[in-house]
Amino acid sequence: LSVCCRTVEPLEYYRRFLKENCRPDGRELGEFRATTVNIGKWGSITTADGSALVKLGNTTVICGVKAELAAPAVDSANKGYIVPNVELPSLCSTRFRSGPPGEEAQAASQFIADVIENSQMIAKEDLCIANGKLAWVLYCDIICLDYDGNILDASAFALLAALKNVQLPSVTINEETGLSEVNLKEKNPLIIRKHPVATSFAIFDDTLLIVDPTAEEEDLATGTVTIVTDDEDRLCSVHKPGGSPLTGAKLQDCITRAITRHKEVKKLIDKVIKSIKPK
Amino acid sequence: MPLDHRRVRGPEESQPPELWGGTRKDDEEDEDEAPRDPCALRPLFARAGLLSQAEGSAYLELGGGTKVLCAAWGPREAGELGATGGGQLLCEFRRAPFASRGARWRPGTAAEREAEREAAAALREALEPAVRLSRYPRARLAVSALLLQDGGSALAAAISAAALALADAGVEMYDLAVGCALCRSPGPAAPWMLQPAEPEEHRAVAQLTVALLPALNQVSAVLGGGQGSPPDAWAQALRLGIDGCHRLYPVLRQSLLRAARRRDAAA
Repeated sequence: LSVCCRTVEPLEYYRRFLKENCRPDGRELGEFRATTVNIGKWGSITTADGSALVKLGNTTVICGVKAELAAPAVDSANKGYIVPNVELPSLCSTRFRSGPPGEEAQAASQFIADVIENSQMIAKEDLCIANGKLAWVLYCDIICLDYDGNILDASAFALLAALKNVQLPSVTINEETGLSEVNLKEKNPLIIRKHPVATSFAIFDDTLLIVDPTAEEEDLATGTVTIVTDDEDRLCSVHKPGGSPLTGAKLQDCITRAITRHKEVKKLIDKVIKSIKPK
Repeated sequence: MPLDHRRVRGPEESQPPELWGGTRKDDEEDEDEAPRDPCALRPLFARAGLLSQAEGSAYLELGGGTKVLCAAWGPREAGELGATGGGQLLCEFRRAPFASRGARWRPGTAAEREAEREAAAALREALEPAVRLSRYPRARLAVSALLLQDGGSALAAAISAAALALADAGVEMYDLAVGCALCRSPGPAAPWMLQPAEPEEHRAVAQLTVALLPALNQVSAVLGGGQGSPPDAWAQALRLGIDGCHRLYPVLRQSLLRAARRRDAAA
């Protein structure tokens, strides 16, 4: 009977659980799904300069960073580029068709670009090698392998983990010839100034807030809100694309929870990075 | 070049750093190269049933670093009838932008679309004989493969992964299609090598991908080409490929059995 109820009246089915302050998969309203991250030798992409695989419950996202060289733009001669790209291929879920990126993928790409920009995660000046002549371009390609909700959190996390793993070869410009020389042996890690972490919430019936929604919960929700915080417990951005209105107090509550989540995530990343250090 | 409005824009042109540091790397490779056994197969890891959103899925990894993930969906409604009144098999093959060593593969360009369409057609050619399409009239079966890392023999790995995914989805099949790639290096008497790694593929003058239905011992697809050589050489290459497929078959069957057991245990 419960299976029928779930397919025929999903909202009623959910409300019954929410009344008891829990969710169908057994989680509390404020509980996150099991988060696992894979950086380094096992499970990483060796053709990319940095890569990470993040699993938030069933949602699986892989991020590969490739560094290339280009001439900086004319109006910002001392800045490099960071080009994020979120792809939701048809293999991650039946709701996506094959072909050019759809709305959700474009929105996610723009969100990640905003996170990088607003949090000043990587100073673009650090990516510049020679003013006006040569700069690094970091192409960050985030591909979702399994879509079960909360794609923004997973993408941001995968991006952070992958960037921490990037090793750039040292490049020098030969004074006489003006050509660049790349030393592939000597690699330096990327300087990451801030560590932004995103936390998403789904709003139910205009009042109830649940953390880390699955795909089903996202469909039933009346709105979503994503908070991005950085290291010093500061707020980087709040992403609330429409949906039901939220009171100030509730928003403050979200921000507090996001700050707690940030500490957990940071600890997890540090632990993983340390475990692969003796390379 | 037309602007791609759907993706975040980067610089117009960029080059991989290997272009400038390139020469040194090639020297190293020549030193390390040792003649390898042409019939040696790379270690294969296959796992079925790992994605939650797809009806059937498979992940295949070859020793030198080729990683393919494939998802399959069972019969869904289709508009028109298939070619012979049976169902339709729709294949898709995507490369991740970070999959190849060297320059980043640019999604959205015409070259990329062409390559993907070719690969998808090749995949379809290899899989169609294996699937019992006559059992799904007016239905559409979809298979989507994603190449995460290209370490050589990518299409062959994709064929095997796609067949595994279809079987995992519960689609009725005559047999699993197993793919095996071969290539021939330059040189007058160079032998055909099984499952080339990426540097070998790069230097090869002729390539061949064979897809076999091992239990029925029927070849479902032969794709390839390159520098001419006497027909015997090609026939011998084909035989080598078929032998390779037979040797890979038990591994794929084991992974399917394990996935079925896992599903039983979870249910």
